[in-house]
Amino acid sequence: MDVMLWVVLPYVTFAIFVVGTFWRYRYDKFGWTTRSSELYERRLLRLGSPLFHLSLLVVIVGHVAGLVIPKSWTEAVGIPEVAYHFVATWLGSVAAVGLVAGLLILIYRRRTTSAVFLATTVMDKVMYAMLAASILLGSWATVQTQLLSGGIGYDYRETISPWFRSLWYLQPEPRLMEGVPAAYQLHLVVAFLLFALWPFTRLVHAFSAPVGYLFRPYVVYRSREGDVRTPRRGWEPPTGPSPRGH
Amino acid sequence: MTGEDTLLRLGRHLRRGEVSDDLRRLFLEGGRDGDAFYRDRWSHDKVVRSTHGVNCTGSCSWKVYVKDGIITWETQQTDYPSVGPDSPEYEPRGCPRGAAFSWYTYSPTRVRYPYVRGVLLRAYREAKARTGDPVLAWAQVTGDPETARAYKSARGKGGLVRASWDEAAEIVAAAHVHTIKEFGPDRVAGFSPIPAMSMVSHGAGARFVQMLGGSMLSFYDWYADLPVASPQVFGDQTDVPESADWWNASYLIVWGSNLPVTRTPDAHFMAEARYRGQKVVVVSPDYADATKFADAWLAPHPGTDGALALAMGHVILREYLVEGRTERFAEYLKRFADAPFLVRLEPLPDDAPASSGGPGTLAPGKFLTAADLPEHAGEANAHFKTVLLDADGTPVVPNGTLGHRYGEADEGRWNLDLGGVDPLLSVADGPGAPEAVAVALPRFDLVPQPGDDAEEHLGGAGVVVRGVPARRVGDHLVTTVFDLLLAQYGVGRPGLPGEWPTGYDDASSPGTPAWQEELTGVPAAAATRIAREFAQNAIDSGGRSMIIMGAGANHWFHSDTIYRAFLALTTITGCQGVNGGGWAHYVGQEKCRPVTGWAQYAGGLDWTRPPRQMIGTAFWYLATDQWRYDGLPVDALASPLAHGLFAGRTTADTLVESAQRGWMPSYPQFDRNPLDLVDEARAAGKEPAAHVVDELKAGRLRFAVEDPDDPRNFPRVITVWRANILGSSGKGNEYFLKHLLGTDAAVRAEETAPGRRPKSMTWREEAPQGKLDLLTTLDFRMTSTTLFSDVVLPAATWYEKHDLNSTDMHPFVHSFNPAIDPPWQTRTDFATFHTIARKVSELAAVHLGVREDLVAAPLAHDTPDELAVPHGTLTDSGLPMTERELIPGVTMPKLVVVERDYPALAARMAALGPLAARAGMVTKGVTFSPDEEVRRLGKLNGLVAEGPTAGRPRLDKDTHVCEAILALSGTTNGRLAVQGFEQLERRTGRELADLARDDQARRITFADVQARPVGVITSPEWSGSEHGGRRYSAFVVNVERLKPWHTLTGRQHFYLDHDWLVELGEQLPVFRPPLDLHRLFGDTPRLGTSAEAGVVVRYLTPHSKWSIHSEYHDNLFMLSLSRGGPNIWMSPQDAEAIGVVDNEWVEAVNRNGVVVARAVVSHRMPPGTVYMHHATDRTVDVPIAEASGLRGGIHNSLTRILLKPSHLAGGYAQLSYAFNYLGPTGNQRDEVTVVRRRSQEVRYE
Repeated sequence: MDVMLWVVLPYVTFAIFVVGTFWRYRYDKFGWTTRSSELYERRLLRLGSPLFHLSLLVVIVGHVAGLVIPKSWTEAVGIPEVAYHFVATWLGSVAAVGLVAGLLILIYRRRTTSAVFLATTVMDKVMYAMLAASILLGSWATVQTQLLSGGIGYDYRETISPWFRSLWYLQPEPRLMEGVPAAYQLHLVVAFLLFALWPFTRLVHAFSAPVGYLFRPYVVYRSREGDVRTPRRGWEPPTGPSPRGH
Repeated sequence: MTGEDTLLRLGRHLRRGEVSDDLRRLFLEGGRDGDAFYRDRWSHDKVVRSTHGVNCTGSCSWKVYVKDGIITWETQQTDYPSVGPDSPEYEPRGCPRGAAFSWYTYSPTRVRYPYVRGVLLRAYREAKARTGDPVLAWAQVTGDPETARAYKSARGKGGLVRASWDEAAEIVAAAHVHTIKEFGPDRVAGFSPIPAMSMVSHGAGARFVQMLGGSMLSFYDWYADLPVASPQVFGDQTDVPESADWWNASYLIVWGSNLPVTRTPDAHFMAEARYRGQKVVVVSPDYADATKFADAWLAPHPGTDGALALAMGHVILREYLVEGRTERFAEYLKRFADAPFLVRLEPLPDDAPASSGGPGTLAPGKFLTAADLPEHAGEANAHFKTVLLDADGTPVVPNGTLGHRYGEADEGRWNLDLGGVDPLLSVADGPGAPEAVAVALPRFDLVPQPGDDAEEHLGGAGVVVRGVPARRVGDHLVTTVFDLLLAQYGVGRPGLPGEWPTGYDDASSPGTPAWQEELTGVPAAAATRIAREFAQNAIDSGGRSMIIMGAGANHWFHSDTIYRAFLALTTITGCQGVNGGGWAHYVGQEKCRPVTGWAQYAGGLDWTRPPRQMIGTAFWYLATDQWRYDGLPVDALASPLAHGLFAGRTTADTLVESAQRGWMPSYPQFDRNPLDLVDEARAAGKEPAAHVVDELKAGRLRFAVEDPDDPRNFPRVITVWRANILGSSGKGNEYFLKHLLGTDAAVRAEETAPGRRPKSMTWREEAPQGKLDLLTTLDFRMTSTTLFSDVVLPAATWYEKHDLNSTDMHPFVHSFNPAIDPPWQTRTDFATFHTIARKVSELAAVHLGVREDLVAAPLAHDTPDELAVPHGTLTDSGLPMTERELIPGVTMPKLVVVERDYPALAARMAALGPLAARAGMVTKGVTFSPDEEVRRLGKLNGLVAEGPTAGRPRLDKDTHVCEAILALSGTTNGRLAVQGFEQLERRTGRELADLARDDQARRITFADVQARPVGVITSPEWSGSEHGGRRYSAFVVNVERLKPWHTLTGRQHFYLDHDWLVELGEQLPVFRPPLDLHRLFGDTPRLGTSAEAGVVVRYLTPHSKWSIHSEYHDNLFMLSLSRGGPNIWMSPQDAEAIGVVDNEWVEAVNRNGVVVARAVVSHRMPPGTVYMHHATDRTVDVPIAEASGLRGGIHNSLTRILLKPSHLAGGYAQLSYAFNYLGPTGNQRDEVTVVRRRSQEVRYE
């Protein structure tokens, strides 16, 4: 069971994520979109969308810090566990509040604005469920094990983080996940499912975040590079013998 | 350096490509692979020119794009010939509806295969198996009451099943053959409107129906688009300026017409003319779309427009012709109007009531004619030569009257040249003092005293006594029409007796601005100001004041009086016949510019004459048994000064009399098969006409109109194509369903009680249901009509056939062309009718053979028939047929025997017959002789090789017919235009042919109009001139070339003296308010009250922005742009009264039926009036009605047919019949309904 959840599932998810994204990019470029509904509703979106996305950026940074950076490194630069925990928990909690609030606004908007709801696909709904579950479980894990448990809380940097890194060394250590609180385990499983869905939802827009706009001149000229269209049958350029008769 | 710049500079290092120095531009190479997609998306294989035959009047040419054999989209053509350097161009033309059309090609609503009603098909197959013969099978199916009942009651309830073309055509053909044999060809009818919108498609079916002997039903009057005032005033029907001529107007009143919505591609001329300084006044009760263009907006109460126009006339007459004399106006009136002509003043009868001024009071009577002058009495047509006074007071018979139009004696004198005569506009202008006499004039604007029976009955009619100057000519006391006009308009002059207003602010006397304010709600000052501006502009600009008018003012019961008041404004100010001036009446796509060729082809006139053409309104009134619910007493409409011709009679009785006198056509004709009538006569060795007269005299033969519920008189077979009568024009929809079709209907009215029934008609206790045996519809989409049809034949769309198109709005003729072949099993209308005709011919060989048919033809306008009833005086009014003197062509219809070669029908339809050249082609009194053209068509189209039509030019392809129509019309063939004008030159003695001589060698061919739209040639078929590239405006030829109008005096008429108009009190323009339906029909609640938990409101059905008639309502694109489905627009006040908020379901109920719709609550609407947009089909979002338990109806579920006797008057001068020229209108604006909120839980089944 541990192997299934903590070895097979991550690698399968990774495979689906990578292959799926490639497939989507290859075959559905016109569907590569946020499916923006700003046209239908603006007021709530202006509030909910930045709240959600900016909080998400903080959360992502927190996850990177917690999962990728080994505990030994932070200790090496003189950050004691207590300090790390304090920063991670409180910054994480603030971001989680923002994230959940943003999500609730967006879901409320999606459900109550009829035009937006009509523009919601089944895939959108599944994705929303996964996204919401993943966020709520993550938040709950933080609240349960870090805030309510007293002391310095559960130290996932001893278990989850090394396991996560072990996946990347291709020497997975599922044993590390034994005894990890259920809230974290659930959060992880749901997160894997979310990543497996990712390529098939509007979440692909994450790869197209318009970061470049900050650095790009606003008028772009693209000159033609050869003929952009394959000639139709019978209209190919002449390929006969050259005039010199070689 | 700003922060952004820092970021951009940083970006330079992060990407490839060159960045400009100002950091604004980035240059990259490649990355354009995505282009290929868009290039392919918008690539296509071919572009084909076509248009939309949807009676929108736009007549826009379109590019249709085809890719891989599929029609993909359409865009506007841009190659209209230029209008010239001083005007905006016609291009661009188009609208979103046209741009959405290609959706239909492959839409779910497309009819792809022939369908037959399942119950009928089964019965027919069984009968055919029994009898082995299609005609006998049809006889069995329809002859057995139970079988007939079964399939008729299934109409409109689904159950259409696919059949083969062969079988469907056989059923249709068998029905025709059986009906002709058993009941007569006049029991066959065809309905297809607006030839101009696709002339060949119309013509092919009309040719089939009329060559059979069936009747084509008129549509213009039936649509209530026909302005009866046009024949009354001009003796011509709807000759109007093209839209580019709006540019030439410097003052424009837009009255009851919503240009941006209903003239979308033309409205730009108005917007552009405003930049040229044109002033635009919009008159509309609601905040219509046109209003936003207006400099001034007048919002009269619906239907009161006539009062506003009369008050404006009052101001203009007073200020510009009485207090100050505008020479331009006076000269125009003397020459181009009946204003100077003399009218006899006749004393009221001895029993005249005191309220009318009492015995001895005078009333205007008949025109004084040459017959009244001893020195002229012996002249030809003396009764039709009207008289005026020369400046010295001597009576003169001027040229140009109706009497000069016919006969050898007056050749060259039918013109408006007054020679040295200077007519007296008023008899007071002449030497010596005239007498001042009081005349009684009717008025209809009074509020009846409740409880006073007599007054309630007359409904606010009364008399106003006013004086006119008069002189004696011989024994006759006469005055001029102009003098009467001043009296009618309340413009007093010193020394005249009678009751006159004290000033513009006197509301008590009819005609003043204050008087109209009480009726219309338009401030008196505004009416006065607009009137002055209109007249002053006419002076300053030389007549360039124009009134665009339309259905908003024209669809009323009394619209003829409203329009006459409008036309008086343009005539008094001398604007008629001037570019940029005059009336501009726009309703349907009426102008079939190549009219002569079309009429020849469609009527089958090249083979047999005359065709049967029936007034649509009367046909449906009888066929749908609406007459049984009507019983409207004519007394209730009559003038208090009437002579009693209508006493005790209903409007239906006037229809009967009009038919009997040959004033209007009437088919089904007699209560006997007209084929049998001839056989009987031949057997008895008598002339068929004499036989008919004898039978009528003896009372053995009666007109079918006298007993429309006799099964012998039912219309049996109707074919509908290019039309959607049950979804669009069918006034009294529920009566159609109940009596004509015999299926479920929501009729709520009681039949007329015995006291009110028409006395000249037979009342059968049991009203028939399901009179019609076969309803066949050709269409490319499922409509309300196809749903009720027995046979539905799949038609080609406008992008799948060859055809011709023209309109009033521009001077071009252009083409339809197939972008693809008709897909699935669809066929063009042309191919379909030829398919059916071949079947008919096949079956006819056994069942019909060659027969003789007796056609009772009405007394026709523009022929000597219009001399039948001198002075429009009836000497035997009220006598039954059996006691009248019956002279065919004078006191009754002409009786003409026509040979019908049924086995040769199909062959003849497909060939140009000999009569076109041998007997000539007549349009508006001009006879064209197309001998050369027929020879040329033989070469162009080829000659028929064999069979009964061997050697005749071929017409077996739609392109052949296009060529024939163009070759046989003056507008598209310069030789014929010149020929016609030369003929008119001989009659008028005026130079005319030069208008077309430049174009004498031009022959517009079908290839020409396929290449691009082609402007037409000036021709005597119309009254305007395009000569020298000028814009078309009506009556320009009359004014500039002194060619008479086709009226009694040869001038524009203010005054009408036909007996029936005298009875109605409508000799002069007069205000008649909308009908008080509560008073006329007890079952209609009073306006403005509450009933059945709803509000009682006026119910109007104007046009919508998202459709053209019923077309496009169901189109996905238009549904996306609008709410879709049936809507009723109402004011916030009315909505609040019944507790309705926007978009809630409401139900509108009246005596005629019920309709379910969503409420659109809008401030645009005036309180007390609701709109339901015309012609939302019952195919989209129509739930079950609470009131009936049936599907919730359509807009016409609440309307019905009401006949006005003045529309039925005939046999006299311009009041004579011609197809779509004159006839009773299917008016529907006077209707009233109760609207209430209904349960919001709607069910669809």
